[in-house]
Amino acid sequence: MSDITFEKQNGTNLGAAPSKPRARRAVAPPIDVFENADELLVVADVPGVAGDGIDLRVENGILRLEAKRAAAENASPALAREYEDVDYVTTFRIPAGIDTAAISAQTKNGTLQVHLPKAQAAKPRKIAVS
Amino acid sequence: MWTGFHDLDDTFRAFDLLQRRLDRAFDHWAADAPQAAGARRRLRTVWPATNVFEAKESFVVKAEVPGVAESDVAVSVEDDALVIRGERKSAVPEGYTAHWRERSSIAFTRKLPLPTRVDADQVSATLKDGVLTVTLPKAKDTLPRQIAVKAS
Repeated sequence: MSDITFEKQNGTNLGAAPSKPRARRAVAPPIDVFENADELLVVADVPGVAGDGIDLRVENGILRLEAKRAAAENASPALAREYEDVDYVTTFRIPAGIDTAAISAQTKNGTLQVHLPKAQAAKPRKIAVS
Repeated sequence: MWTGFHDLDDTFRAFDLLQRRLDRAFDHWAADAPQAAGARRRLRTVWPATNVFEAKESFVVKAEVPGVAESDVAVSVEDDALVIRGERKSAVPEGYTAHWRERSSIAFTRKLPLPTRVDADQVSATLKDGVLTVTLPKAKDTLPRQIAVKAS
């Protein structure tokens, strides 16, 4: 939620339509991180991003998550402007025990869900006592 | 918790995170007075963020509502104002534990006064990728009308 005020302080163009398309800014989206026995789940708010706008990269143990908004088709003048068409970028250090090759993501209602499955060796295992 | 997980290479982002963390600390502190906590939240932020565009014959209102399902948002026209009500549900998924939370559940109502009357029957709304788009055609009698000038 504080994202919104933070962005505004940094010069959101309130009340006027931009006269020419500018390079889009990228911000870090608000995220949740959940965990169960099988995976870590990262959920991010990325309104305006469709499934094909998602780019995930793993490099040197860092997960870079980029979400690009589809081009805005609305060219009418704005009477009020509270948000900018921003893109989203964030990075995470991948914790030990994650199967990086199996990381997957999907979008739903403007949220991005990234699944980071745990490697078999990192999952809790029941040891039979004989 | 975040020191190990996040790659904080940007000072401003660190401050932003700190601020969110502090915001939540006070939410927690006020947890036994949910009414007060809710009131404070409304004072601080407007949600969802909304852009209003004016075309020749209609207004287009766009609102960023990530995580809001179609069934959890209601759009209506009341007294020449557009009203958007709804709820963003952000519960911990079944079977998971939460490590880090920045996306809260939000119940919201926004009333946006419109500069001219609109044809309430023709208002349409779509929800796509977390952006709600409401198209409100202006009332016919508010549109500019060309008057033919005849020579007498």
